[in-house]
Amino acid sequence: MSVDATLPPAAGRGGFLASRTALAVVIAAYTAYTLGPFLWLATMSVRTTGEISADHYAWPRPFHWEQFRIAWVDSDFATYFWNSTVVVVAAVAVVTLVGAAAAHALARYRFRGNRILYGILFSSIIFPPQITLISLYQILVDYGLYNSLLGLTLVYVSLQLPLTVYLLEGFFARIPQDLFDAAKMDGYGDIEIFRRIVLPIGMPAIATTLILNFIQLWNEFLFAVVLITDPDKRTLPIGIRAFMGDHFQDIGMIAAGVMISVVPVIVAYVFFSEKLIRGMTAGAVK
Amino acid sequence: MAVVQLSKICKRYGSGGPVVVDNVDVTIGDGEFMVLLGPSGCGKSTTLRMIAGLETISSGTLSINGRTMNDVPAKDRDIAMVFQSYALYPHMTVGENLAFGLKRRRTPPAEVKRRVGETAAMLGLVPCLDRKPQALSGGQRQRVALGRAMVREPMVFLFDEPLSNLDAALRVNTRNELIKQHHRLASTMIYVTHDQVEAMTMGTRICVMNGGRVAQVGRPLDVYWNPADTFVARFLGSPPMNLFTVPLAAGDRIRTPAIDTALTRWAPAALAPLTGQEVVLGVRAEDLHLAAASTGSAEAGRIRGRVFAVEPLGAETLLAVETEGGAECTARLPRDTRAEVGAVVDLFFRPDAAFLFDARTTAAIPAQVRSAGTGPAGAPGRAGAIP
Repeated sequence: MSVDATLPPAAGRGGFLASRTALAVVIAAYTAYTLGPFLWLATMSVRTTGEISADHYAWPRPFHWEQFRIAWVDSDFATYFWNSTVVVVAAVAVVTLVGAAAAHALARYRFRGNRILYGILFSSIIFPPQITLISLYQILVDYGLYNSLLGLTLVYVSLQLPLTVYLLEGFFARIPQDLFDAAKMDGYGDIEIFRRIVLPIGMPAIATTLILNFIQLWNEFLFAVVLITDPDKRTLPIGIRAFMGDHFQDIGMIAAGVMISVVPVIVAYVFFSEKLIRGMTAGAVK
Repeated sequence: MAVVQLSKICKRYGSGGPVVVDNVDVTIGDGEFMVLLGPSGCGKSTTLRMIAGLETISSGTLSINGRTMNDVPAKDRDIAMVFQSYALYPHMTVGENLAFGLKRRRTPPAEVKRRVGETAAMLGLVPCLDRKPQALSGGQRQRVALGRAMVREPMVFLFDEPLSNLDAALRVNTRNELIKQHHRLASTMIYVTHDQVEAMTMGTRICVMNGGRVAQVGRPLDVYWNPADTFVARFLGSPPMNLFTVPLAAGDRIRTPAIDTALTRWAPAALAPLTGQEVVLGVRAEDLHLAAASTGSAEAGRIRGRVFAVEPLGAETLLAVETEGGAECTARLPRDTRAEVGAVVDLFFRPDAAFLFDARTTAAIPAQVRSAGTGPAGAPGRAGAIP
């Protein structure tokens, strides 16, 4: 007599199907909930503000693709896009590199004050970033970095570094000590071990922090609006705000601007999503 | 090729911390396969890591070929190590794992390719060269770890319990593979294990450690037949040696209600100072018989007790007996042995199969030394067998 172990027993097959159906319904509902507003925004981006006011939910007829050209060329979105790219890419690169090195040091080396340093870093995650706004503003003014992309980049680095170190330290601490010992026996020094062992093995976690930092900084508004005043140094979130007046809001153009700004985030997510999921689930399954 | 010398090596964690390795004094000869054997926490792995350069040496001197190595970084000691967890780099293929150490030493690419190819062929890893470690079986991973050490052709090989993650059958195969490689390479190898079978079968010498100290160093069978103290006596051998704390009667005898034996291996002068005092009598399980005639001795020693467990193992039967004084002992008997739990039995042994230890210091009381390969007089076959 043979038993097919891959199939659930007949009695349980109905329950299995029901649970799968329920799961599919929940996932479909959640997808509609999250994707709906995005699709609505996408339709608005190719409609004029007048059309939107007449009917909020109508299908675009005709498609006003020229709104993207107007935003990109006439409304200086090309400049904002470039500014955002420079600031965010530089900040994310520094945060990733410094954060990974710091996390490795905290996870691997026993030195006096290790846990105190870690505690200080961790505590800075707890406080809302707004409380540092005034002091950061004053520091940037004092050092001549106010209203500069370099100043904003440094602020972004300081904002994201603690969380990055916290996330990476947890992952790096789980890399077995034997791997480091083996690399030492193979003749490698500390920096080489970091470069050749820690970074490649930690790539899922690094990709996770990279994409989280990128999304967070790409959408960052508060510090950018306070620390940047020149129109030619604006980042995308501030650029979008230019379509908002006191009495009139150009919803169609705002939607077009948001669609432009969201493209790099989608590209980054598509590129890193596999590693992001691996990083998020690392350690969950043996 | 290297001579590794440990002179009064100590390891202490922190200034007031516990001493985990205490005054270890061992010289490992060129081409020798030295096994550091002991229970968990005895300091054997720490000693190995100090030799590797992965732990600092608190005091004492480590030298290789006469050169002091205490302050030489691990990467410059020309030592290779095989780890218990294999420690294969998960993001590299088998080929890259093997070549990793060679590349660091700026070995020409053609030479790297040649050595990796040779090592892979020797260990049967050629089909796996492009695979990542997670796609390998436990045995294959173990061979990659071994290959990674071999490919570098180091002065000294270190092994930190490399077989403990393998199943029993694979362990035997890999053990034989290691012995073969040692014969082929004739390199100095230091091997840490808590498994006495590995130690007895692989080591040219074994160093038994206990509580951070060296309990005894010697050839496996020498140590087995001439244990330095009760710890070594019980650690080597399965089942462990039976020990009984008993008073030493006059006339070089032990005579209690449960045990009666002459002590023929000891000169009367050696025992005279101990008369009336307590000593520890040791008898190995395989030296016990149910019939006096089986011992081949005219005046066999005797242990009387009540059977509390019978363990038929197929090839043999283990009989667990409790003596009148409450001491327990195990006899390894022929497989067709029949005994009832609760029955009182007499177990017999040759007097020259007995061991005697000082009850206070646990050290062996010096007797006629048994040489490896002879064992107790009249039992050459048994002495030659793996315990």
